Amino acid sequence: MSKKSKASKSSKSARKPKGAKKGAAKRPSGRLMSVATNARKAINERVAAIAEAPLAVCESDENLQSMLNVLRSEEEPIEVRLAALQAIQAASFSVVTFESCRSEYIATLRQVATDPDMELRQRVLGILAREKDGFAQRKLLEGLQNPEKALVPPEKALQLLSNDVHAEAYAAAREIVNNPPSDTARREALRLLAADATAAPMFEKLLRDKDEQAEIRQISASALQALKPEKLQEHARAILLDTSEYDDIQATSLTAITQFGDEQAVAEDKTLMRRIDNMKDEASTKIKQSARRFLTKYGQ
Amino acid sequence: MQNVAMAGARSETEFASLVDALAADPDRREQLTELLREDHPVYDQRGAATTVRMRGWVLLALARAGVSDAALIFVLEELDAGVDAYLVAAAARALRSYPSPNAALAPFAMRALTNIRYHDEPVSFEGYGEYADSSSYTTPVRELLVTLAWLGPHARGVLHEVEALRAQHGGLPKKLLVEVDRAVEAIRGGQADEPDADCCTLPNGLSSTFSWALGSRRGSESIESTVFEDHGGASVTFREFFRGHPSIVVFFYTRCDNPLKCSLTVTKLARLQKLLEAQGLDDQIYTAAITYDPAFDLPARIHAYGQNRGVRMDDRHRMLRATDGVNALRSHFKLGVNFIESLVNRHRIEAYILDAEGRIAASFERIQWDEQQLVDRAIEVLNETSNEKSGGPVPEVSPRPVDAPARGKTASTMLGTLASVGVAFFPKCPICWAGYLSMFGVAGLERIPYYPWLQPLLFAVMLINLASVWLRGRSTGRMSGFYLVSAGAFAIVVSKLGLGLESVAIWGIALTLAGSLLSALNAKGRRLTARGGPA
Repeated sequence: MSKKSKASKSSKSARKPKGAKKGAAKRPSGRLMSVATNARKAINERVAAIAEAPLAVCESDENLQSMLNVLRSEEEPIEVRLAALQAIQAASFSVVTFESCRSEYIATLRQVATDPDMELRQRVLGILAREKDGFAQRKLLEGLQNPEKALVPPEKALQLLSNDVHAEAYAAAREIVNNPPSDTARREALRLLAADATAAPMFEKLLRDKDEQAEIRQISASALQALKPEKLQEHARAILLDTSEYDDIQATSLTAITQFGDEQAVAEDKTLMRRIDNMKDEASTKIKQSARRFLTKYGQ
Repeated sequence: MQNVAMAGARSETEFASLVDALAADPDRREQLTELLREDHPVYDQRGAATTVRMRGWVLLALARAGVSDAALIFVLEELDAGVDAYLVAAAARALRSYPSPNAALAPFAMRALTNIRYHDEPVSFEGYGEYADSSSYTTPVRELLVTLAWLGPHARGVLHEVEALRAQHGGLPKKLLVEVDRAVEAIRGGQADEPDADCCTLPNGLSSTFSWALGSRRGSESIESTVFEDHGGASVTFREFFRGHPSIVVFFYTRCDNPLKCSLTVTKLARLQKLLEAQGLDDQIYTAAITYDPAFDLPARIHAYGQNRGVRMDDRHRMLRATDGVNALRSHFKLGVNFIESLVNRHRIEAYILDAEGRIAASFERIQWDEQQLVDRAIEVLNETSNEKSGGPVPEVSPRPVDAPARGKTASTMLGTLASVGVAFFPKCPICWAGYLSMFGVAGLERIPYYPWLQPLLFAVMLINLASVWLRGRSTGRMSGFYLVSAGAFAIVVSKLGLGLESVAIWGIALTLAGSLLSALNAKGRRLTARGGPA
């Protein structure tokens, strides 16, 4: 067998759950469910049966209850519980069929949201947060306000809360920006605040702060574009004229003016045009490309 | 004694205790209704989820204490446009405590059932702020089915809808089929043929959805200098835009996540504008959609929001944001909205009609308003303005008859078609003309002189008809009429080229007639659709 076909075979088998038999015919749902929920079967076999089971989940109340029990039970191996979660989540895409199961599914997710297993907890909170679930939002906010109660790391909590603009997370995010537990948490807090109309002055300050990390300054530029686009244009111009600015931020500023600038005002801005014209030849490769795009757009 | 007016600074637990105390005290139960007003200070600086928990608890207190006529509107509002499972379930339960079940309530329960059935989440009413995470819970669909059963024969008007949902695959959750059957049985019960005495009477509480201020309108002086920025970034003051003519004003914000509120309101504004246009009133009655969230809703954002919903935006019809914030507007319009920082946490549906002085002449609150009703009220205000200007009674300003332009268009179509016929049969020379005349002579007609200039004139009119059909096709989006008329015109022109294809002219006439007729029918269908008639 050639190397290529071996590789292809191994990639195909990687996509299949362990324990799934090659070329096996579809098994009846009753048999699948009995394997999936049988604690005496091997984990791989159960995971494989669950992976085939999504359509069977809502076939009967008994099937649903069995699968929810697997998900709920801390006695079950975590691989099996995660597979059960994935199967029910897959079933939920059939909105009409799943409607009968939905309320019990959500109630179970709320139970599992405080499970001792971190990965399961995080996935479950993710599903609930995308549903804008009040219970999940309250738990996540509690964790941000009191780290001892936190179910997920602060950056994850902020990321999940950002699914709902009405999740009352701005105050907690501001607190994290001021007293960040980690760089990642601060970054996520800033991303969340990019939808807070009152945060524009903070982003202006961060954008102009040369001591800030480039990523934070870029997040600030993006937030300003959403909140106060005219301010971004002002600052972007000033950054481009400042010869002591960093390349990354100048490239971001150049893109902002090229894409969103007032065409007439920019074209008439001789100082800026001269500066960009110089950049075209003298700056780093990244800026040169952006400068050429700018000059193409503004007619030079 | 605990005071509702001072409830603003309370914690959620204290608020829940206050609500329980009010529900338990028959003399103070009416104060629960006050707590359901969105602009109540108790909701100031609370998040949306907190607001849901608080309002839900008040609705549940009403369910225990009984819903009064004054509180009914808040319950129906939740059923009419609510999308939160907890609030809809609580409202359904509260409705069952209204002392007089009424046929007018059934459509609200049915609408809620239709809106919420794919978001049937578990809710717990056990304690304040509890979320269901076990098997002992209820759901909005379950509560609504129990409410329909409570309405019994009063819900006969929606029985066919319940039965249709029952029969439809996935229409209602399988495990609730017992409740569905119970509701159907209750609705069918009682005197089957006995007409519902109060079938068409709206409960008293519902009358507050519309208010009509005659002779007692507040002046708009306090907000006359309020500056707005419109969808195109142009600045205009309240006085500049709202004085001199009646206006229809709705409120919205682009981040609203309830599709039955802001998104629907702005979509309906677009339909309302078309009604004004169809009645020729679009230059006499202005419209405006004002955002609750001016800090976030920048001109580009409100422009895109309006455009995506078909709103007409020009100097008379604008999407607006108040540049100095929404506070002045809040107090002038007494808006049913509250905020956490600058973000809306809850708002009601609200639309206003302003008179020519910018004063509020009428308001529509909470329940979905009807576009035609709003237009009719605005016309009344317009008539009233005309009366005031003339210093006495003057003839009413009537909407331009819809059929007048239609008649004009039909006449132009007929003229164009006749021109095509004229071109097809126009004689080539005076001898042919004599031949025609000899035929007319047989019919006893008077002598008609030969006018060679008539042919180019008829040809020009035929081209005008072609252009008119093209324009009509473009406006209706149906070009089939234009294609037929084009083919007809082509056939007529070919028949006149002297290629021995004179007989083609008959086909040309037939195609022209068919195309013109089709074009006129398409245009008529479109006008009827715009008026809400059959498409």
